[in-house]
Amino acid sequence: MQRQVALIKQSLFDQGYLDEQFIELEELQDDANPNFVEEVATLYFKDSARLISNIEQALERGSFDFNRLDNYMHQFKGSSTSIGASKVKTECTMFREYCRVGNAEGCLRTFKQLKKEHATLRKKLEQYFQASK
Amino acid sequence: MTVEQQDCVALDQFPVGMRVLAVDDDQTCLRILESLLHRCQYHVTTTNQAQKALELLRENKNKFDLVISDVDMPDMDGFKLLELVGLEMDLPVIMLSAHSDPKYVMKGVTHGACDYLLKPVRIEELKNIWQHVVRKNRGSNNGDKKDGSGNEGVANSDQNNGRANRKRKDQYNEDEDEERDDNDDPSSQKKPRVVWTVELHKKFVAAVNQLGFEKAMPKKILDLMNVEKLTRENVASHLQKFRLYLKRISGNQQAIMANSDLHFLQMSNGLDGFHHRPIPVGTGQFHGGAAAAGMRPFPPNGILGRLNTPSGMSGVRNLSSSPSSGMFLQNPTDLGKFHHVSSLPLNHIDGGNILQGLPMPLEFDQLQTNNNKSIIAGNSMAFPIFPTQQQSSLPNNNNHLVLEGHPQAPPSAFPGHQINKRLEHWSNAVSSSSSTLPPPGQNSNSLISHQFDASSSSYSIPFCDSTIPLNPALDHTNPRAFYRATDMDSSANVQPGVYYDSLQMRKSGNYGPTTDAMLSSNNPKEGFTVGQQKLQSGFMGGEAGSLDDIVNSTMKQEQSQGDLSEGDLGYGGFSSLRTCI
Repeated sequence: MQRQVALIKQSLFDQGYLDEQFIELEELQDDANPNFVEEVATLYFKDSARLISNIEQALERGSFDFNRLDNYMHQFKGSSTSIGASKVKTECTMFREYCRVGNAEGCLRTFKQLKKEHATLRKKLEQYFQASK
Repeated sequence: MTVEQQDCVALDQFPVGMRVLAVDDDQTCLRILESLLHRCQYHVTTTNQAQKALELLRENKNKFDLVISDVDMPDMDGFKLLELVGLEMDLPVIMLSAHSDPKYVMKGVTHGACDYLLKPVRIEELKNIWQHVVRKNRGSNNGDKKDGSGNEGVANSDQNNGRANRKRKDQYNEDEDEERDDNDDPSSQKKPRVVWTVELHKKFVAAVNQLGFEKAMPKKILDLMNVEKLTRENVASHLQKFRLYLKRISGNQQAIMANSDLHFLQMSNGLDGFHHRPIPVGTGQFHGGAAAAGMRPFPPNGILGRLNTPSGMSGVRNLSSSPSSGMFLQNPTDLGKFHHVSSLPLNHIDGGNILQGLPMPLEFDQLQTNNNKSIIAGNSMAFPIFPTQQQSSLPNNNNHLVLEGHPQAPPSAFPGHQINKRLEHWSNAVSSSSSTLPPPGQNSNSLISHQFDASSSSYSIPFCDSTIPLNPALDHTNPRAFYRATDMDSSANVQPGVYYDSLQMRKSGNYGPTTDAMLSSNNPKEGFTVGQQKLQSGFMGGEAGSLDDIVNSTMKQEQSQGDLSEGDLGYGGFSSLRTCI
């Protein structure tokens, strides 16, 4: 089990899903906070799910309010960075860049990719936490 | 760590146990931050709403040592929170953001942030944030020396000091008139904070006023204030806060009018409640602490109605000679902060320097005493004090007025609106005008001239811009209301005072801000009244004798002018004004 955990974790890093920030979080976990990382991850996914749905709605409306989209994405990026969700963060940055130049098509494309990465990360982390228990 | 534990531990282990308030709308980040802070052994309170954070801070000013706040928050801009915390509680605030744009960092700096951290925050960065608490304390306590005595923690006025905060809190709540200059913990590096008491603040405002609000520089203010153990840094930070405060409240007139003045000091001193002498001051806010003044709150009355007077014009009461209070200036709209001015007890220094637009019966007797205090009007401008002479001209009236005046005070009689400008103008005028009083040349100012003659000191009479529209309300309101912004110093240091004659205001047009203008006006009364905003500075010398003379001559003059109907104005003295108007 331990090995499995280690493997999962390693792959997450190797594949760039997670970065050093995640390690920092793990370091914060201690006896006083035994499930800290998992708690934070849960919070993150909850929050980000909400953000994603907001962004989705905004995009579906068709009228691209780049400012607002950018704001959402800024938030998203912030929390993704805090948890060390590296790939998600990258997609956020790209999305914001498209917003900046007003490229709706680019936004849509990036958003799709972002959702994908987000879902993948979620699954993998869930696996990871399961294995760690 | 429980609070109690924290107390004991904190005393010697700062920064361990430092109390931090973390604010971030992002739950993930907040959780992480909380954990990081715990790891640094701080005591952490979190909230994801800026409003809640403010509430927490307001409910107990001594509860936290430091605030860390995110920049982008839905319910309130982080910078706004930063500003408010700085003004109200004077706690160090660290901004947190994922924005690394230098613009934001700059904004943080200009709004007073102690530091700006980028997300994701690393624990190394958080390990050193306690330095901001120490730094802030040292800065404000710079002038105070640690005497290393008694460490009850109480003596430590540093409210940011997490140590012994309980005791300190209690003590702090006691009347603190003086600056605390002792530091309870010899081993701590923190210096006691300077407590800006009402007295001190008055001096501060007087100095600023003298220099001119725009030109006030900390060094000069410090020199003028001449307070031992106060440093330029203390003054500079207080000035900054004051300015921010003024700016802030000028936008919130309604809400704050009543309490803003007091709030300023309260906030800046971290004290709450009016246990100190509540003296509403335009912007000066004198903090209650002025026990020295022994002023009683002046019950708001009609005149003061607008003023919300938690602080009352107790100053007036103090006047031995007459019950009338000093002038109340209220600047209802303009500064929003002007709110009632406490009566200025002429006799005392604390003398009310509150100049508020409201016409209040002047306490002439007070004037005689010459306490010249700059009146701090909304903008910490001292209002010119009417020469005692003038005031003395209304002694009877004054009393008379005082008694009834309040209810009649025209609420809006304050030219308040432009008080700001006026004050500034006035202030500048004052500073720039020579100390000698321009000869009253024309008629009207016979009063003034009398005064001048009688007075041994010279003074200038700046006028404020008459940008303030006359207040029609004045018409039926208490015509006798006068505003007397400040006590006159018996010394040669004349402070211009704002003198409002409600009648005048009502009737007269705007007066140009020059003494000469005033002097040349045809309205004899103009000499000593300010139409809307005329500021007259008169110096009322301390000589009672001269005052009497002046009064007499004034009275005579007035009488000669027209009918003096006591009833009309409440004091005979003004009747002529009325007619002139």
